[in-house]
Amino acid sequence: MTGTPETPALPMPAPTPLGPAIEARDIVKRFGAVQALGNGRLTVGRGEIHALLGANGCGKSTLSKIIAGTHAATAGSLLIEGRPVRFATPREAEAAGIALFYQELSLIPPLSVAANIFLGREPRTRAGFIDRTRLRAETEALIALFGDTAGPGLTPDALVADLTPGQRQIVEILKVLSKSPRIVIMDEATAALDARQVAVFFDILRARRAAGVSTVFISHRLDEVFALCDRVTVMRNGETVADLCIADTDQDSVVRLMIGDVRKAGRRTRADRPAAAPLLQADRVGGGRLRDITLAVAPGEILGLGGLQGQGQSALLRGLFGADPLTAGRLRLDGQPVRIRAPADAVARGIAYVSGDRVADAVLAGRSIFENLAAAVLVRERRWRVGAGTLAPRLAGVAASLKTKYAGLDDAIGTLSGGNQQKVFIARWLATGPRLLLLDDPTKGIDLGAKADLFALIRQLADSGVAIILYSSEEAELLDQSDRILVFNGGAVVTELSGPTLDSFHLTRAAYGDAA
Amino acid sequence: MKRALPSALSALPAALPAWAITAAALTVLVIVNGLLQPGFFDGTVLQSNLTTFLPLVLVAIGQTYVVLAGDIDLSVGAVAALVNVVTVTVIAATGDGPDAILAGLAAGLAVALACGLVNGLLIGVVGLQPMVATFGTAILFSALALRILPQAGLPVPDAYWQTYGGAVLGLPTVLLILLLAIGFVALLARRPFQTWLKAVGGNRGGAFQSGLDLRRIRLSAYLISALFAGFAALCLTGETASGDPLLGQSLGLGSVSAVALGGTLLSGGVGGAAGSILGALLLGMIGNVIFFAGLPFEYQTLVQGLIVLAALAGGVLVARRR
Ligand SMILES: Nc1ncnc2c1ncn2[C@@H]1O[C@H](COP(=O)(O)OP(=O)(O)OP(=O)(O)O)[C@@H](O)[C@H]1O
Ligand SMILES: [Mg+2]
Repeated sequence: MTGTPETPALPMPAPTPLGPAIEARDIVKRFGAVQALGNGRLTVGRGEIHALLGANGCGKSTLSKIIAGTHAATAGSLLIEGRPVRFATPREAEAAGIALFYQELSLIPPLSVAANIFLGREPRTRAGFIDRTRLRAETEALIALFGDTAGPGLTPDALVADLTPGQRQIVEILKVLSKSPRIVIMDEATAALDARQVAVFFDILRARRAAGVSTVFISHRLDEVFALCDRVTVMRNGETVADLCIADTDQDSVVRLMIGDVRKAGRRTRADRPAAAPLLQADRVGGGRLRDITLAVAPGEILGLGGLQGQGQSALLRGLFGADPLTAGRLRLDGQPVRIRAPADAVARGIAYVSGDRVADAVLAGRSIFENLAAAVLVRERRWRVGAGTLAPRLAGVAASLKTKYAGLDDAIGTLSGGNQQKVFIARWLATGPRLLLLDDPTKGIDLGAKADLFALIRQLADSGVAIILYSSEEAELLDQSDRILVFNGGAVVTELSGPTLDSFHLTRAAYGDAA
Repeated sequence: MKRALPSALSALPAALPAWAITAAALTVLVIVNGLLQPGFFDGTVLQSNLTTFLPLVLVAIGQTYVVLAGDIDLSVGAVAALVNVVTVTVIAATGDGPDAILAGLAAGLAVALACGLVNGLLIGVVGLQPMVATFGTAILFSALALRILPQAGLPVPDAYWQTYGGAVLGLPTVLLILLLAIGFVALLARRPFQTWLKAVGGNRGGAFQSGLDLRRIRLSAYLISALFAGFAALCLTGETASGDPLLGQSLGLGSVSAVALGGTLLSGGVGGAAGSILGALLLGMIGNVIFFAGLPFEYQTLVQGLIVLAALAGGVLVARRR
């Protein structure tokens, strides 16, 4: 922000009543040799919900972090409510009324939900101790905003480490809301939320808008953007390319601005094939919250797992992969009984698991992109010597098939944008050549183009005889890709949808139980 | 995971904290020691044992805060030595009345804080690796201690060690110090500061994004650690009644072991100083039992190492069941 070097964040002159909430002009940001932003521009009016869209790695998170004081801009100027500012730390931005939902979450796993939400702003007694009663009560009031959609176990004293990815996302949302900001930036805050949670979240955002709060909303789900937002700014390769009124545009035009033309995959229609013998059969398996789950998946089939978030879909996938124990029931692979006690057993049998919870399950933090790509292949192929010469081109090929954007394979994984990190973790498992692919909300954070590429690839895999089990928090994605859907509720399968019942109406009705 | 563990362990309540094994081991050792050593539960024997254990307890308390923030302080032993020689030198130079003793104590603690400030600035502000930086400053502090007092000597006035070995306000001084330390631990546990430390150790990036001032928090932890090393040095001075530039060399790794035994994760973010007190007492009791069991000296370190490993492994197993 060299344009206004003489202006400190504090003390602030009286607010100019007419200035927009955020005005970012010509923002440039370089990380060493990598230019993340070449010309970031964003103008957000007061009391507006403003979408910020663009493909993975185009600079949305970087721009957000500059506005929130986490990164310093290399050049450019930033005005908040008409006043030029230069934030040196997130705390200064917070003092100016700005709060950011961090795409990769800013939570501390070993601390409680309450401690996380009020971190650095704990209510205190007069003696300076944490006022636990108030801390708990205020946290409970915040959790109540999400009502019963928050799911079991989201209490003020629960440890964040013990929550589901969706619940962690809710905690990060509540942390932002608890600061009562005048300007909020939601960087893919809905990525792991189910339809019901998204609805509650949008109601909250609309209520805040009515109270004059300005919101920047980042999402790869265009339906959400068009349902919620007033204006939209589109970015491409670190540059802002458009600023439009939502009413004056449509989804196709926005997609074209973001990434050019995308081939729309449409609904999967299954080629008639002779019914193959099932690859995997589960007979009344249980453990943790799971009860009596019986299912079979055949080579070439894509089996969807539906229902509200946290009803046992992830638990089942993790159980099948040996990451969490399945304590009851039996598994058969190719008709033979198997026990999968640990992920190593699963990998040895050709099972791969792609998790959407990349921070907890996938990232080898601080290691290179190459190491992150190679992790599963090295286990699968029992390699004790890494022949980078042969392995690297192969892995780079898989990563390229998903259009992963990175500078060099030796760069640290943390330098990638959220969506590009997720592509690396998908490629990690595709490279093992699995027979059974378990997908646990795999598209969390990846853009429309990459999503289309991923599902084209997954259909190809299915056609070549791989069995696939897919859970997605996004209903349309599930309906488009699955041959059949098992709907989960409370850790059990309540219905199977296929053929004529495979539609949004039946899926919603089954997911909500008899209430809907 | 569950099936692989001994069934006895699975039968324990799920909420068992990681320091429970340490507490159990400590209880067993207290009983064994009571059987081996006649009069173990007599007041004077307890007091003399506490006198032996107290320095490590204090250093371990201070070390906990550094470890919670994801850092480590290997310089505590050298800080203790430096404080000891500064204190005895200042007392010797000022006379031998109560004023001289107070001046010595104040000078010692001021030096401790200065050491903590050096560590905290190097690590929290300059950004050096904690392990390397405190290893380096330890050498520096030791060298300073040797420069000030090249050889052990300089006895302190009688009033110093008599007060330390005696009683204040009707309580044995060592017990009073322990109670004050426990009070400090209990108070700090309820302040936001301890949550911030855990945040810094649990997810440093997240702590920064949450608006915490990482520099100040990490620096404060090093100040506390050095201050407690200073207290430990003043206690050791009361015990040995003189200066020794090579004092306290086992305090560094000893305190880290005590912290780990007390259930604080060395990677930071989880734990508390109450466990470290148990851990330090356990380490002390191990030495005691080995001595009274009449084990040859060569085996003492071996057995001590084995017990520490067993307690740590037990703690890990308990923690992993969750
Ligand atoms: N700390 C960093 N070091 C180096 N490069 C970085 C760093 N952070 C981001 N980048 C690069 O900056 C570019 C923009 O990243 P950014 O995270 O802003 O993308 P994004 O638009 O949020 O993408 P996504 O939709 O995947 O979240 C990417 O090419 C990324 O690799
Ligand atoms: Mg991003």
